[in-house]
Amino acid sequence: MSFLPSLDIAASGMSAQAERLRVVTENVANADTPGYRRKLVTFLEHVDRGSGAQLVELGPITLDDAELREVFEPQHPMADPETGVVQMSNVDLIVEIADAREAQRSYEANVNVFDQARRMYSGTLDLLRR
Amino acid sequence: MVEFSGPASQFYQAALRAQRAGTGGPGDPEASGADGGAPAGPSFADTVADVAQSGVDALMRGEQASQDMMAGRADAQTVVEALAQAELALETAVAVRDKVVQAYQEILRMPI
Repeated sequence: MSFLPSLDIAASGMSAQAERLRVVTENVANADTPGYRRKLVTFLEHVDRGSGAQLVELGPITLDDAELREVFEPQHPMADPETGVVQMSNVDLIVEIADAREAQRSYEANVNVFDQARRMYSGTLDLLRR
Repeated sequence: MVEFSGPASQFYQAALRAQRAGTGGPGDPEASGADGGAPAGPSFADTVADVAQSGVDALMRGEQASQDMMAGRADAQTVVEALAQAELALETAVAVRDKVVQAYQEILRMPI
């Protein structure tokens, strides 16, 4: 945090996007779990006390309360005794894949900004060496 | 003014203040009267000490982050960021040291 606030801010962005990807991975892995509700990620601003820089952090992870997909399968152990319907998850794989791609793009953008800030600072120090 | 990097601009501002205090000193009634010509704000030596301290802090944080990585406690982004800060701190210290030593040697070479 001391030398270059940009590095700290970019690193917090990278961490936030990596966590977002982790949540997306959980959703994809549990797409067939009965009763699983999709997790949603929120981002919050986080002001660092020392330098006043605005970092990013993940807020509370909420559950998507859309309807669960219902499947007619009377032999399933968790099927409803009267209707024979099982409630699966409300995960849509296409939405999750798109989310994962967005998280990757944001992560790459943060990496580029990190690298650029570092190169600019090194370039400034080069002036001293001449 | 856009704050690009704290220590580098601190150096610049302290040098600017020292220069202004130097050129305004002898003929300046307030400086000679009130506080004996001492410049307002931190002196250049204080700035060097501050920057050295923050450099040492950055290096120690980098070491701590590497240890956390070995123990599996930290994630990759934190470690990379701490190590990049430590590397920049070291680069800054080396560049400033080289410049100071160079200036010192220039002064030694002056004929009496």
